[in-house]
Amino acid sequence: MFFKRQLPIAIAATIGFLTLFGWFVDEPVIKSFVDDDATQWFDILASFAMFLGALNLLKMQALKVVKQQKGWPYAALAIAGFMFSFTAGFILLGSYNVEISQYDDPAKVATVLAAEINLDQKSAENILIAMPEGDTYLIETPYFTKKGADKVVAEINAAGGMANMRATEWGSHISTRGSLFNWMFRFIFTPLSATMFALLAFFVASASFRAFKIRNFEATLLLISGIIIMLGRVPIGGHISAWFILYIVVLALGAGVNSYWKDRTYTLVAVVGGLLMVTIAGFIMGWPVDQPAIFYLPVLQDWIYNNPNVAGARAIMIGIGLGIFATSIRYILGIEKSYIGE
Amino acid sequence: MEKFLDYIVKAGSLDRRVIFLVIALVVILPLFFPLGLPIRPTNSSQDVYNAVEKLKAGDKALVSFEYGPSTKPEIHPMSVALLRHLFQKDVKVYITCLWPDGQFMAMEALQQVAVNQYDKEYGVDYVLLGYRPGAEAVIKGLVSNIRKVFTVDARGNFLDDIPMMKDVNQVADFDYLFSSSAGYPGTVEWVQYAADPTGVTMSTGTTSIQVNEVMPYVQSGQIVGILGGMPGAAEYESLIGQPGIGTSGMDAQSVAHLVIVAFIIFGNISFFVERRRAKKY
Repeated sequence: MFFKRQLPIAIAATIGFLTLFGWFVDEPVIKSFVDDDATQWFDILASFAMFLGALNLLKMQALKVVKQQKGWPYAALAIAGFMFSFTAGFILLGSYNVEISQYDDPAKVATVLAAEINLDQKSAENILIAMPEGDTYLIETPYFTKKGADKVVAEINAAGGMANMRATEWGSHISTRGSLFNWMFRFIFTPLSATMFALLAFFVASASFRAFKIRNFEATLLLISGIIIMLGRVPIGGHISAWFILYIVVLALGAGVNSYWKDRTYTLVAVVGGLLMVTIAGFIMGWPVDQPAIFYLPVLQDWIYNNPNVAGARAIMIGIGLGIFATSIRYILGIEKSYIGE
Repeated sequence: MEKFLDYIVKAGSLDRRVIFLVIALVVILPLFFPLGLPIRPTNSSQDVYNAVEKLKAGDKALVSFEYGPSTKPEIHPMSVALLRHLFQKDVKVYITCLWPDGQFMAMEALQQVAVNQYDKEYGVDYVLLGYRPGAEAVIKGLVSNIRKVFTVDARGNFLDDIPMMKDVNQVADFDYLFSSSAGYPGTVEWVQYAADPTGVTMSTGTTSIQVNEVMPYVQSGQIVGILGGMPGAAEYESLIGQPGIGTSGMDAQSVAHLVIVAFIIFGNISFFVERRRAKKY
């Protein structure tokens, strides 16, 4: 019980207090612990957490497959994908380069080189001729397998050249352009990930059409600000004249007058009077696209971003901050024990 | 008239596949037939540009990549544009990644800009430190001592063997900080743990949806300018005079937004007609 309950709570409380003191107490030992050691501990723990996460993913998906639960083929695919990336990253190096150092007859070696770097015979020959004496030429695109690289080395050597195979250093093979892992990231993960995110555009359009309705005052406010942001943020919004928006405002005002007084005369006076006023003002001002500025979409959009939006975002941030503070204190004092399963 | 209203009500329950098809067309067509809509830089994009303009040749900029392939269309163009601006001014660029896929994004951007366009030398003009797990702890570690977080760079070179790492020990040694961020960990963490405590000038580029969250920091001056989504990237490209993917994507985004607004208006008209009829009968 002591090791499962009291000890973890004591460790959390001690480390929590130390970290907190690091911000308020000017003591070099504590400061060094908080700034250097504690962050390094955290980095190490985070690395292990990734490892645990991977194991957990495997366990969950494997259970789905074994129990043949709904959608188990997708779980099998997830395991296969995981295994492939694990193999490409940890087991197979997947990045072997071929380096040409000498040749007797450039034409013969160029035949092999041209096929490997997708160039014509003449260009490949020029590359070899331009190679300074004592220097080497590295075929930039690596080979996934050692066997593949060895085969090219043998072909070059057979053509009278001298080549050798160079394996990319372990670790940097992940970031080497053309390595197996890199290939997997660029040609499998990237398009799949981008496709999933791109689907959002379609769902947003469909959902807006169905759900974005003027049902009450709040929904109307949300809809109007949404439209202003959507149009004001893109270049086309800058081409929509402020006068056009002003005309829409007059018509909306007419609708408001009509629903309030329910009298056609009042509505007619409001709409015709408003339209006339806007038209006269337009002729006087010369119909500039961005004037009056308060009806120009990019300006309206900026105002929404900088005022109501920031006010809301600040309120949320302060709320979150207070929540974090309260939760942290609960952890430090040992009141919150969810991390030990209580 | 009734027949026309019938048609509107019917169209209100439009098959979503039709909507998908229309969206696909309005996104694809402007990419093939650009409209060439002029880009108007906003104040926040101009602020980022001005902050980079203030840097001198040889100054040090720390750029952090916190996005992956899913948000690449929004953020990658601004990362590329920013790198172009930095290399144009001969600023030394140091790159870190708080997201594992950020390293691949950084490699791609560096290949495109540092290698292909500006012919910069690795280790002298730019360095890719790579990815470390730990989110805020990594930032805090960088603020305290870079060498405790990174002993080697992404290529496996020891930091002490890299010429441009000489005299660079912590975040305070940099002249400028930029976070290309698509979420957590990202811009907010860089402000809280690096830019604010050290006083290093920081700007950011985020997805459009994140702008709301980051805007309070921009207004308070803790972040100098923000590039918001693809429009932000397009604005930055126009400011540096090098149109790229961001600019070409703006036509598609403009038309797509316009069509979505048209769908919303049409959906509401249909909703009103239906509601009026329901009240009537």
